[in-house]
Amino acid sequence: MVVNRNLFNMEIRRNAFSLMIWMIVITLLISVTMSVYRTFADNQSKILGMVSLIPKGALQFKGISNFSDLLSVLGFYAANNVIYMMVLGSIFSIVLSSNILLKEEYNKTAEYLLTRPITRSEVFFSKVILLDLNIFLLNLVTSTAGFLCMELVKRNPFSISAFMVLCFYTFILNVLFGAIGLFLSTLVKRGKPITTQVIGLVLIFYFVFTISKITEGAADLGYLSPFRFADVNATSPYYRLNPWTLLYFLGLSSLLTGISYRIYRRKDIYT
Amino acid sequence: MSAHVIKIRNLSKFYGKNMGIENVSLDIERGEIFGFIGPNGAGKSTTIRILMNLVFPSGGTATIMDMDVVKDTRKIKQKVGYIPSDAGMYPSMSVIDFLSYCSRFYGLNNNDNRIIELADMFDLDLQRNIAELSLGNRKKVSIIQGLLHSPELLILDEPTTGLDPLMQSLFFDLLRNENRRGMTIFFSSHILGEVQMLCKRVAIIKNGNIIQVEEIDSLRKKQLKKVFIEFENRESVEDFVINGSGNLVNGLGNTLSFIYSGDINELISSLSGIKIKNLMIEEPLLDEIFLHYYKK
Repeated sequence: MVVNRNLFNMEIRRNAFSLMIWMIVITLLISVTMSVYRTFADNQSKILGMVSLIPKGALQFKGISNFSDLLSVLGFYAANNVIYMMVLGSIFSIVLSSNILLKEEYNKTAEYLLTRPITRSEVFFSKVILLDLNIFLLNLVTSTAGFLCMELVKRNPFSISAFMVLCFYTFILNVLFGAIGLFLSTLVKRGKPITTQVIGLVLIFYFVFTISKITEGAADLGYLSPFRFADVNATSPYYRLNPWTLLYFLGLSSLLTGISYRIYRRKDIYT
Repeated sequence: MSAHVIKIRNLSKFYGKNMGIENVSLDIERGEIFGFIGPNGAGKSTTIRILMNLVFPSGGTATIMDMDVVKDTRKIKQKVGYIPSDAGMYPSMSVIDFLSYCSRFYGLNNNDNRIIELADMFDLDLQRNIAELSLGNRKKVSIIQGLLHSPELLILDEPTTGLDPLMQSLFFDLLRNENRRGMTIFFSSHILGEVQMLCKRVAIIKNGNIIQVEEIDSLRKKQLKKVFIEFENRESVEDFVINGSGNLVNGLGNTLSFIYSGDINELISSLSGIKIKNLMIEEPLLDEIFLHYYKK
């Protein structure tokens, strides 16, 4: 059996509090943001004047191709979702994944865990499954909160399938950042936390993506960032799941997880 | 089944260009208490970490109960207990939760009786939170987790750090009892005294190489003493010669110190005609024994 139930249950308990806090914080942010939607929609003409001053690129990087997108509840949600779920969710994922194996080393608990009748594969997969479960639960709860908020404040119906696609993009983006964090943690020779570095990495990727959107001539730079591939233009009539994007996210996540597994299986553990 | 519980052949570990251990070979017999001594950084922990599959060897092989330490690590660990020198614990857990968690890895879902028996022996409060425990109490938890599944082989890496003398004595009694019941014990330490107290045979490791494997009795017969003499005058220091002394070291003023391996009465007799201010005879440190025997 690949997953060790004892370890898995322990990890659920260890991470439950942190997961709960992240769920609450992101849900609150979404709720507060969505609560201003009606005011926003009711004052279209005033806001239109203000928004016309914003460079078009600045709107584009939030997935807004024109201002009218913001007036729909889904467009409004999608624009804010970029920050809350895509950036914060990715930070949650990368922080959790970079610590999930490494914390046993820098907390010196690996001496106990790895000297039990348990293989490295069991340790690895128990933790990876727990990681992806945490990412899934965070996405499930916050997306549900987002959906309920939209239902409460909407003026007009919105496309549920487009909302689902947006949620799925967010989830696979978070999973990819989880795989990146896991991979980086297996490269650390002597166990020490890399939390600051991985948060910095997410912000750098987001910065690169932003620059590529708002700077003409720097569009290609965006391809260096995973954020570029998560389409948030949910109000577009052509908005659907792109199979190549899906392949990019799942392929890269699987590749990084596979390499991490190979490294971890033969990694010397020092505490 | 082989008579050797641990069989190590030409085991090496390199950290880049730096050597951890080189060509270490050892046999530990079933039912013995085997000491593994050497100064800090000699390679004791590296050898043990390879046995426990925490690090991977660069060369050579090691088997425990005829099973390869890399390929069969899961099966091995079912039968082996390990008490590390210094390991962290999950601070938010209570002692009983931590020990129950450890037990479940061995399929022991209802192991409370064994846990309580060991906790009583060490006077350990199972309900306390690990974060609140002193170093000594954490060490007790570490000892209990190594013993709770009644392993066939117990590997200990500097296990007495933080234990007070009373607990240390209790711990050694427990190890002797477990050994009488058939447990093989591999005991690593840099303190010669505790290895002498407990072990039948000993391997001495230095700079990653096994220097000597011998019976504790034969080590005892060497009767090494560290001698410190303060003479009345400088001439006496320079004229002083005695058989059995190695590495005579002139200290400050009229002092002399050395490791003495001869008859203590002969030493006293040789000093009878010399005026001395002070004389101290004590147990040498392990490093000083190394210096005496192996650096000459």
